[in-house]
Amino acid sequence: MTKTWTVPLIIRGNVIESDEQRFGGRRGGVSFTAPDVRRHADELTLRAPSMMSDLYALSLDEIVDFLVELGQHLNFADNRHLQQAFELACTTSGLSESILRFHYTRTPRLFQRDELYAIVARSVGADYLEGWVEQPGKLIPGVSARTRAFGARCVHVIAGNAPVVAVLTVIRNALTRSDAIIKAPSNDPLTAMAIARTMIDMAPDHPLTRHLSVAYWKGGDEAVEQRIYDPRRIEKLVAWGGFDSVKHITRYLQPGIDLITLDPKLSGTIIGKEAFADEATLASVAKRLALDIGAQNQEACVSARVAYVQSGTDEAGLARCARLAELTFEALQRLPDTLSTPHKAFDPVLKEELDGIRMFADEYTVFGGRGNEGAVIVSRDGTPVSFSRILGCRVGNLVPVDDISTAVRSVNAYTQTIGIFPETLKAALRDQLAWQGAQRLVSLGAAATLQHNLDRQDAIEPLRRMVKWVTEESADPALIESLAG
Amino acid sequence: MSTLYSRLLDEPAALVGACYDEAFRLTPQQILDIQLSGARRRFADLRARIPVLDRLGEEQGIDDIQRIDDVAPLLFAHTVYKSYPMSYLERGQFDRLTRWLNGLTAEDISHVDASGIKLIDDWIDLLDAQTNLRVFHTSGTTGKLSFLPRTDREWRQNIALSANRIRDWRGPGSGPDLLAEQRPLIAPAYRLGASAAARGGGYQVEMYAGGEENALFMYPDARFSADVASLSGRLSAAEAQGELGALQISPALLAKRDELVRVERERPEQLRRFFAEAIRRFGGKDVYIGAVWSILYDTATEGLARGARGVFGERSVLHTGGGKKGKNMPDNWRDQLIEFLGFDNFYEFYGCSEQMGFCMRCEEGHYHVPPTTIAFLLDPATGKPLPRKDGQTGRFASLDLLPSTYWAGLVTGDEITMCGLEKPCRCGRNGAYLLPAIRRYTEKEGGDDKVICAGAPAAHDEALNFLTELSE
Repeated sequence: MTKTWTVPLIIRGNVIESDEQRFGGRRGGVSFTAPDVRRHADELTLRAPSMMSDLYALSLDEIVDFLVELGQHLNFADNRHLQQAFELACTTSGLSESILRFHYTRTPRLFQRDELYAIVARSVGADYLEGWVEQPGKLIPGVSARTRAFGARCVHVIAGNAPVVAVLTVIRNALTRSDAIIKAPSNDPLTAMAIARTMIDMAPDHPLTRHLSVAYWKGGDEAVEQRIYDPRRIEKLVAWGGFDSVKHITRYLQPGIDLITLDPKLSGTIIGKEAFADEATLASVAKRLALDIGAQNQEACVSARVAYVQSGTDEAGLARCARLAELTFEALQRLPDTLSTPHKAFDPVLKEELDGIRMFADEYTVFGGRGNEGAVIVSRDGTPVSFSRILGCRVGNLVPVDDISTAVRSVNAYTQTIGIFPETLKAALRDQLAWQGAQRLVSLGAAATLQHNLDRQDAIEPLRRMVKWVTEESADPALIESLAG
Repeated sequence: MSTLYSRLLDEPAALVGACYDEAFRLTPQQILDIQLSGARRRFADLRARIPVLDRLGEEQGIDDIQRIDDVAPLLFAHTVYKSYPMSYLERGQFDRLTRWLNGLTAEDISHVDASGIKLIDDWIDLLDAQTNLRVFHTSGTTGKLSFLPRTDREWRQNIALSANRIRDWRGPGSGPDLLAEQRPLIAPAYRLGASAAARGGGYQVEMYAGGEENALFMYPDARFSADVASLSGRLSAAEAQGELGALQISPALLAKRDELVRVERERPEQLRRFFAEAIRRFGGKDVYIGAVWSILYDTATEGLARGARGVFGERSVLHTGGGKKGKNMPDNWRDQLIEFLGFDNFYEFYGCSEQMGFCMRCEEGHYHVPPTTIAFLLDPATGKPLPRKDGQTGRFASLDLLPSTYWAGLVTGDEITMCGLEKPCRCGRNGAYLLPAIRRYTEKEGGDDKVICAGAPAAHDEALNFLTELSE
């Protein structure tokens, strides 16, 4: 018997658990009930923009204090809301229990005081959040300007492949003094709810609690979206995810709504010939490549899928590449289960593709891929496999090349992160890769594990786009009057 | 004369030419005997001659077949016949594609020198000229063509068997014998090319119609080009490879795409002209029509609107295997079709083009698996065979014992419920049968409102389609 979950509706500090509708429940899917958002759509949005003013009674220090305290309450061991979100995520997410547990346990880290200030410093700047900042410029003598960053009323259609997305959204909303309606994804319906409920338990009337709503409705439900995606009710829309999730949103776009898309991306790897210097170097490169492929079970946009390897493409080169593939597969199997495990729902379409190529030794060398353990494929023809776009579930594709420029030319606007070995190659290629479309260049192995910060995402700055940059200008009255003749 | 049972036990391909009805009067034990001995024979013979099958046997640790279930791990994923790297086509490496194909056939094609070849169509023509193979390809709806190494002899067996089915399906001699009495052939398809339909059509012209003058194709002089069919897949693959891929598509090939778009645009008009011509030339005669429902239905409504009724002879035959392809048709579509065509002699089958033994639909609406096809249902999650009991539902997979030069054991993407293993169908035929509720596993997925941050060019393709829609 599969359990039916209850997903509440949270509107500005109130938890609503009535008018339930059933969602999901397809074969193998999880079913849950959630209140009918159509009945509450009008309460969900902030009636008047002036109702943002309570956020301006708070200083940035007070906001950070609140978030630091929230972080302490998001302690997985004793937060029942988070535990529930974890339990549901174990069935809805592509991540295994051990990986999810690791993620949920690490949630408080994201609320460290220094890091919260650093997020502000790297993005909008504390001075712009706290007041009006004098602007340089003397185009017209006697005219001066000041700018301040204001929060906006914003809907966030978030991704559910990792719980960090919900956490990040709550932090970004608070730091920018914005008002958020988070549309929860069906693959992680409860994490954002858990944070909101923790805020309610902690400080039910706090302005930051009262400016966060979380709802689940089926993406594309016109009866809900027509009433919410309205420039009189919201100013910005942050949309994560693929074309399907963005396509129906585009119907509501009109002047007055600013759309911030965080498109789906794929990430890759470039490995220079230095990897083959000696067996010890190769083993180290293999371990690092396994991390980029395997961490977060390859569910993330930062996860590596196709790796270009400057092994050469003659027989000796192909053998070198196959050796790297073999070591990488072995390393993949040894990754700690907090980072990576055999995939609990291995993609059957990908499995068919693996079964189709395995017997063709002239074309492919395949390590693994028999069950759900993952695989590393060498494309002996020197091009990615024709199913490269569905690589997942810990399946990597090594593409041997002679010339590193082949790897550079494979990069396009959908390439997010590229893990590179060695460091000197990264420095040498970074401008070219940026021109091609790449958005984040990292040391091999650090793509999905060691992110310095999440403020620059997909080569844009979501925080700077989430605020409204309001300008106040002054001109000398005599100068103004002189214009009237 | 020996019984059909003993002949099939000796060689499954003896089904060709036999009374097709008799094949469904065998006892369950006889069917099992035929299947077990046939599987042993084919596997032992083909394993030695088909390297890819040998590797699969080795991988699965199966040297000989003891039980029917031993066959299941030896079935190819349907991706096997399209497992070649796309770069072979993009870079015109047809010598390597030949080597790849050589791994999938018992025919030796290693003597073929394809090094100067640039296009798939030319490669197929070269194989036609220098080998026994009459390679056919799938239509490539998934973006990549499968290439099947079927011999000329197997094609003839296939087309002959098809005629036998029509002759004997509703009882021995109940239908016309297309091989004995030739008749006009009508096919809303390309006359030339190497798609399964075009290849089959070519043999039917010779074997059913007795020559070109007795056949009508929608595109009588045109070739269904494999290069064009594979182009859509290559364009999306190119996108996935960034600038690198975009450089690999030649202007000549891109020009072919415009041609395809033009032909598709003119299709409704062509279809009208085609059936008008069919009625003019063959009206009132007993004809053979091979076509999918949706095309026929379009034609029927159009024809009825113009007052055309009962246009063909009542002993005509319609042979069809296509589903309704998601087309919305009214409840009485079948009646409309019969009113227009003037006959109700419809033969429907379920099968995949890679195989020869199709499953005919009986009066109960069930699809009957011939004794020369070993059918399995696999657990969709594990790929292991489900118990051989009636009423199980799983992923359909089967080994067709009729082809003798390539391995026709395939796992489909279809979800099917199978019966007849324990209790025969009410129509009286023995052996396994499939319930008509057949659907693709992929149809069940999608639309689940999951949002993830990983993904890419697939979304981009959709975006391009969307933009094209907008600009039209």
